[in-house]
Amino acid sequence: MPYPIENRPADLRERMYFPEIIRGIGVLTKHFLRNLFFARDKNPDILERRRGEFGVSDNATLQYPEERAPYPPGYRGLHRLVPREDGKPRCVACYMCATACPAQCIYIEAGEYPDDPIEKYPVKFVIDELRCVVCGFCVEACPKDAIRMDSGEHTPPSYERGAQIWDEKRLLRGPSVSYQYDPWLRRGSPSIPADKLEEMRARAKPFPTVATDEYAQTPGFSVRALAQEAKDRAERPK
Amino acid sequence: MNRLIGMVVLIGAVVAGLIGLSAVFYLAAGGLAYVFAEYLGAPPSFGAAIANVVTLMLVVMMISGSLLTVAERKWSAMMQNRIGANRIKVLGSALGGIPFLAADALKMLTKESAPPRGRTRILYEMAPALAFAPVFALFAIIPLGPPVPLGSIIASAAGALGSAGVALQVASPDAGLLYIFAISSLAVYGTALAGWASNNKLALLGGVRASSQMISYEVSLGLSLVGTMLAFRTLRLEEMVVAQGAAVIGPVPALGILLQPVGFLIFFASAFAETKRAPFDLPEGESEIVGYFVEYSGMKFGLMFLAEFVEIVVLAAIITAVFLGGWHPLVVSTEWLRQTVTPLWFGAICGGAFLAKMIVLMWLQLTIRWLLPRFRFDQIQKLCWKILLPAAIANVFVTAGALLIDPSMQLLAWIGVATIVAVVAITAAVGRAPAPGEHGAAHVVAGH
Repeated sequence: MPYPIENRPADLRERMYFPEIIRGIGVLTKHFLRNLFFARDKNPDILERRRGEFGVSDNATLQYPEERAPYPPGYRGLHRLVPREDGKPRCVACYMCATACPAQCIYIEAGEYPDDPIEKYPVKFVIDELRCVVCGFCVEACPKDAIRMDSGEHTPPSYERGAQIWDEKRLLRGPSVSYQYDPWLRRGSPSIPADKLEEMRARAKPFPTVATDEYAQTPGFSVRALAQEAKDRAERPK
Repeated sequence: MNRLIGMVVLIGAVVAGLIGLSAVFYLAAGGLAYVFAEYLGAPPSFGAAIANVVTLMLVVMMISGSLLTVAERKWSAMMQNRIGANRIKVLGSALGGIPFLAADALKMLTKESAPPRGRTRILYEMAPALAFAPVFALFAIIPLGPPVPLGSIIASAAGALGSAGVALQVASPDAGLLYIFAISSLAVYGTALAGWASNNKLALLGGVRASSQMISYEVSLGLSLVGTMLAFRTLRLEEMVVAQGAAVIGPVPALGILLQPVGFLIFFASAFAETKRAPFDLPEGESEIVGYFVEYSGMKFGLMFLAEFVEIVVLAAIITAVFLGGWHPLVVSTEWLRQTVTPLWFGAICGGAFLAKMIVLMWLQLTIRWLLPRFRFDQIQKLCWKILLPAAIANVFVTAGALLIDPSMQLLAWIGVATIVAVVAITAAVGRAPAPGEHGAAHVVAGH
């Protein structure tokens, strides 16, 4: 928190220097004793931690590998291809993401289901994570909500460059999503059995009006809920 | 709350440990004195001195000096609301960072020594020892504990040797404080030679800075203690400590800090400058020149590093002895204690009190080191020659005058009380008086 400093000449007491040193020692002693005798608050909800009150140390340290701060809503993590509920990708190989990508790190080869005359699917969907600039344009461009960056993960490190080139087998993961307007739900698809189709239709959601709506995020990770939490926290009497 | 209880227990354990340690030191000194007198026919003081060299100088000083390297990390972390070194874990516990001591030692000892080309070989190799040895030798005259009759430590020595006393003090030369001035001024050779011999411009700068700074502060260092010499009428540290046990105003003992508050502040500041630590760390100045030891690596650097910490220990010990009543426990009356417990435990408790005061003073030095930023060089010289030196000289005259009028030190004590009250009042006065038209004085302000 920045605070204004009045730029003024030192007065007589400050020019004597020793009294100010003694006061400074007092300040450090206060911090030292509080941190010596009181333990820091280890609340796993990091934003709720208390510090600077009586009985708690002033320590603000986050012991990183053991304790981690939650990422902010909208954090762009590793890509994933969103699966349908029958395990196939939602992607229809329209090349919109590959076209939008400024780093040209997405490579797609389209294919057709042998039993479905209309729909396409990506035979190959490869993202070179080393070239990716994590701009999120692919997510914005996708008309099918088939590629997301909501995994909340960093790209894991590797010893070979080849390991950073993610193909559709590695990208296709995470919770599945269905929308009521999905064509394979509305008109059916030969590749989906009838009872499975009924189940998928029952669980499909209306298409979200806002891109950051909770439907567009990983389950349990809701922007609105986080915003509400933060608001509650700010309004709670100290 | 667990931590609170744990810390209180830990502090109690540390105090008990210090007392126990002092008892062990007394037993070692008494035992060796007995062996020397009984079997070798030598004076018992020889044996006591040899035992004290081992226990006080090797155990107390070296261990507290090396523990300070860890303490500096942990204590500074606590002052700055951090956690500090805790990544080396023994059986899942960081143990307050103490395992870092072993890691540091291992690192220092196994590091490659990379001597610079064009160095002056002999001086380059000698400089770390020259920096370390005087500091090490300083501890020899510190009276850590009162003399205790040998007969009370070793029962069978009560006969012929009973009158001989053993004190936790390696040597007690008549010169006393002069020995401290003489030896501490030798420490500058190590730094100056290290800077000169390593054939490096920055190291040379550091060495030159070190010598000018240390030679300047020698003056006020010496003069600041003249007042205590006058007041206690002695140069020997053990006699100063004994004199500080006498009551001067009512039951208040004649502590050096009570009689000589100005002398204490000047001595503390000057001795702090002698240790070459922040805010007086210009010789090192790690953000501008890396300092006189820039070309040293491995254990040679470690020795210089350790010398700094040992200087802290020695400075704490000297201040304890001269200004804070030495081994007088102060929380209980020394006379009452002497009559209540056995002589061995009396000595042990007094020794423990000395060590406890030393720890507090070491902590105070680290606090100041983390409190203040580095001075500019002209500020350092100005502080020494324009403030500390005149103040020290004035202090000498005031002390001498007060003692001339009232040899019983009462007047001096009242002057000291008035000074302390004034300092406290000025410190506590928070509000700023309006200072109109003071803008022109701004450049003067930066001076000290």
